[in-house]
Amino acid sequence: MADKTTTRTYETPPTDRPISDAEAARAAGLAANEHIKIASGYLRGTLADGLLKHATGAISEDDGQLVKFHGMYLQDDRDIRAERTKKKLEKAYSFMIRLRIAGGVVTPKQWLALDEIATTYAGGALRATTRQTFQYHGVIKSNLKRTMAAIDATLLDTIAACGDVNRNVMAATNPAQTGAHKAAYQLAKDISDSLLPKTSAWREIWLDGERVVGGEEVAEVEPVYGKTYLPRKFKTVVAVPPSNEVDIFAHDLGFIAILDKKGKVTGWNVTVGGGMGMTHGETDTFPRTADVMCFVKPEDALKAAEAVMTVQRDWGNRKVRKNARLKYTIERYGLAAFRAEVEKRVGKKLDDPKPFTFTGNGDRYGWTEGDDGRHHLTLYVASGRIKDYPDGGPQLLTGLRRIAEVHQGDFRLTGNQNVIIANVPAEKRAEIEALVDQYGMMKGASALRRNSMACVALPTCGLALAESERYLPSLMDELEASLASHGLQDDEITIRMTGCPNGCARPFIAEIGLVGRGPERYHLYLGAAFDGSRLGKLYAEDVTAAEIKTHLDPLFAAYARNKQAGERFGDYLIRDGYVTRTVNGPDFHDSTGALKSAA
Amino acid sequence: MAPHMARHAIIPRTAPFGDTERASLDAVLGAASPIQRAWLAGFLAGLDASGAPQAAAAPAAPPKAAEPLTILFASESGNSETLANDMAKLARKNGFKPKVVDFADLEIASLAGEKRIVAIAATWGEGEPPARATRAYNELMGDGAPRLDGVSFGVLSLGDTSYAEFCAIGKALDARFEALGGTRAHERADLDLDFETPAAAWIKDTLKALAPPPSADNVVAVDFAARAAGDEDDVEPSREPRVVEVIDHVNLNSSRSDKETIHIALEFEDGAPAYEPGDSLEIYPENDPALVDEILAATGLAGDVALRQALLAERDITTLSATTVERFVKATGHGEAQKLIDSGEAKAWIEGRHLIDLIQSFPAAITAEHLNTITRPLPPRAYSIASSRKEVGDEVHLVIAAVRYETHGRARSGVASTHVADRIKNGAKLRVKLKPNRHFRLPQDPATDIIMVGPGTGVAPFRAFVQERRAVEAPGRAWLFFGDRHFTHDFLYQLEWQEALEDGSLTQIDVAFSRDQPEKIYVQDRIAQHAKELVAWLDGGASFYVCGDATRMAKDVRGAVVKAYQDVKALSPADAEAAVAALERAHRYQQDVY
Repeated sequence: MADKTTTRTYETPPTDRPISDAEAARAAGLAANEHIKIASGYLRGTLADGLLKHATGAISEDDGQLVKFHGMYLQDDRDIRAERTKKKLEKAYSFMIRLRIAGGVVTPKQWLALDEIATTYAGGALRATTRQTFQYHGVIKSNLKRTMAAIDATLLDTIAACGDVNRNVMAATNPAQTGAHKAAYQLAKDISDSLLPKTSAWREIWLDGERVVGGEEVAEVEPVYGKTYLPRKFKTVVAVPPSNEVDIFAHDLGFIAILDKKGKVTGWNVTVGGGMGMTHGETDTFPRTADVMCFVKPEDALKAAEAVMTVQRDWGNRKVRKNARLKYTIERYGLAAFRAEVEKRVGKKLDDPKPFTFTGNGDRYGWTEGDDGRHHLTLYVASGRIKDYPDGGPQLLTGLRRIAEVHQGDFRLTGNQNVIIANVPAEKRAEIEALVDQYGMMKGASALRRNSMACVALPTCGLALAESERYLPSLMDELEASLASHGLQDDEITIRMTGCPNGCARPFIAEIGLVGRGPERYHLYLGAAFDGSRLGKLYAEDVTAAEIKTHLDPLFAAYARNKQAGERFGDYLIRDGYVTRTVNGPDFHDSTGALKSAA
Repeated sequence: MAPHMARHAIIPRTAPFGDTERASLDAVLGAASPIQRAWLAGFLAGLDASGAPQAAAAPAAPPKAAEPLTILFASESGNSETLANDMAKLARKNGFKPKVVDFADLEIASLAGEKRIVAIAATWGEGEPPARATRAYNELMGDGAPRLDGVSFGVLSLGDTSYAEFCAIGKALDARFEALGGTRAHERADLDLDFETPAAAWIKDTLKALAPPPSADNVVAVDFAARAAGDEDDVEPSREPRVVEVIDHVNLNSSRSDKETIHIALEFEDGAPAYEPGDSLEIYPENDPALVDEILAATGLAGDVALRQALLAERDITTLSATTVERFVKATGHGEAQKLIDSGEAKAWIEGRHLIDLIQSFPAAITAEHLNTITRPLPPRAYSIASSRKEVGDEVHLVIAAVRYETHGRARSGVASTHVADRIKNGAKLRVKLKPNRHFRLPQDPATDIIMVGPGTGVAPFRAFVQERRAVEAPGRAWLFFGDRHFTHDFLYQLEWQEALEDGSLTQIDVAFSRDQPEKIYVQDRIAQHAKELVAWLDGGASFYVCGDATRMAKDVRGAVVKAYQDVKALSPADAEAAVAALERAHRYQQDVY
């Protein structure tokens, strides 16, 4: 990593603030989204009027960009798209609504309310995302305001859950390390609060809140963001080693807890420039694992977070949207220049990062006991879909509802789309266990499944090129059989699938990464690190669903035969020469393909 | 000319004219239209009665007054109205001076001065008068009704034996006229959907019974003014069904919907009849072949090809009424079925049951002849036309909801709707007949605003309205209230409404989808929400239209409009009701409900 960055020459960073005048923006050739933001009056656009257009379930295209900042995406049911025009119906539009739940912590009371919202307005399923929050699917326009009011009543909101802003801040859930976890959660919460957009548009539009008089005229309505917010999405996480459950290397900004011998947080390593999204066929776009930039003391952490974000605000590429994320900013101007600017804004030199070790990015399933004597149960939730599964499957929706009715602790959503019933007092554990049994919520999942993730993809996601959440389970049925035939049924291998290369389920850092290319076609990426610190490499292109197992089975066989003690699948494939090791984003597209036959 | 004249020889050889005179008279009279002949008849009668010759060009001297006859009609679908007009025509030929009065326009006090009254009344739903007739009907039934001493009357009631309260309104009127002192000139007839032939006979008989005894004064006379007024009624569509081709057949509901609403486009090969937005088209359906076969099997008549064809296309093999049971017992002498009638339980038993249940529950030897007497002819089913000729040319578009439900453990289906939904495809032929509805018409002035309330298939005529107003570039505003179950899956013609909003032929749309949220929302709730705007439109002269379900929706909508007046204008309930009644009498509140 270091070699590559030091030998490169970088551009000189800009010195002025982002353009926030419409005419100047046009003259400067800024991307279309920049114009939309500038003209939006701090994210209002014509959303309020659009809600009154009763003949359509959609909103205008520009509003469709703005509504992301409010936590929503306009989607349509792609399964029935083909029949609609003939039936004189527009697309089956609905909205995905994503909540902002810093650290993924939900009280039982909130859980019950969120469950009821799902049942009432969103097709009866809660979906835990890959970023520690919930999202609802299928909310139609006429129910948006009711749904938002109901969310507001839970004391949660959806502000900045999507859009070019600092999004939901994730925090390590590892509840066994009580002190460190509390610190991580607190930092996540503080960052979430302090980097939240200040516009009152959300309350005004969705809750019929009072419009602040002259709101959009007041220059200081968004003291941090300004009129144009960030160039692109910005994702922040807080990790507590040895678990990298938050996938820190896949995020724009990260904090790694550095603990003393007593488990107390002495400060944080700051990571910058991770990100998954890329565009098929465009090698100037690539996923990138974050650099560990520096170390900050606890009291400087929040300031550092704001500094990283504002440097990206000012330096990020606003002309070419596909190159707008922080990872490209760092590739363009260099980590050294970026760090110097961050130090300037924090107001002091920052230390070099401290040593740390991650052992994996998965969750610990089952019961754990914290050092404060509280108990925590991590439940496996397939693709984060909390629902009552048919045919004797787990009754997750009903079961968790029953638990929420009696639970005295809280719930934690994990970055792996799972749920932790956290902080159960010892005397309540038996009661919770009984409910877990009653609703079949601990039905065994294979090692592969426990390390799997899939994005939503079809039918709702407008970006999906192929199936993901609906297909991965049946693929895993086949792969489990293959693994078992080689005696690998208990080996933990990370497998992640997404319907497109934007990477919501972070497939590029999974040991088996499958990224949709077209109907039933995927790129197969191999060789990533089990702890999420190294990207995989494109191993086979446009693999049909039927061929995935054909590709993997001989590799499983070789791994079973030749692996060294404790050697991970991704590491093995590189060591034994099946696939080239990816250093980072810039060489992600180099030396692709299988290096040798795995016959 | 000779053959032509010969064909029209009218004056009999026995007439007191010479051959040349006869030929001349034939030449004139043979080529004359019925109107011309009638005019001459009256003219000649008047000529003699006045006792003095007149200048040739002047109209006749006051003709001898004809016998007055008031024909009232209470009509929902237009059948009673058609019969009233038929009767008036025949009455005129027979020396009456008929006056046709819609119950909707009836001032009941005026009845006191009448000499002869005929009422032709339809019964709707659960024994209710047609919506437009309700006010006058209630007044007539109330304390304010005038005495009818010395009035001769006759009542013809139309109904549907598949409803329990068959012909209730006709029966009530018949009793009421008598109670008010009237003299029944002719026995009431209660007619089912196959009313046409018996109605014609009743009309003829009733006119005979109402005719005054012959005397020297009874000269056929013509009231010229009355004729002129009646002329426009002479333009009427053919009463024969026509065959059309189905050129489009689409289920408008999404594949995720639990509803099935079929849009069909029908093409008239020789030009569509001159229909207007608001008119209906009758479809002559066929029965479900599976049901036909089930009946044939149950009766042991399978294999009778001719009977099968008749049951498919000509007989109503679903409806089960008290009459059906009686006819069944008469035909079969079935003891158990007889007991059902004797015990008075027949009415309850037939509820939710069809003919097949009767045949299967009371097995009996049945002949094809029996089946024919037990069943009534298969009636056509009318659907509001969903298109304007100005936009679709020689096509007629209909939108038909497939009716399917289950009763007594058996799946049932609407005859016409499932015929169209299940057994008709593109290229198929249908027999249809135009059924005009002059009580559901766009305002004369295209600048007048219109408010349309049409949930479900009730939206049909409003698609025609909007097409028409787009074609004529009507400057008036148009506001549509639409509703159904689910926005995403049941928004009939959604893309077309979007286009109409875009091009301005629709100004505003408000929608009510009942099952999209925890509480049910219906069109009347949207009306209530927009009360202020609605009253402003109506104050500005807008016309208000409702189409769809009669039993609940139309009543609830009317209630919501009354309430809107009450709230917006701070009126008493009675005054608000009067305001809406005034709209109705001004024909600015029109309904097409079923």
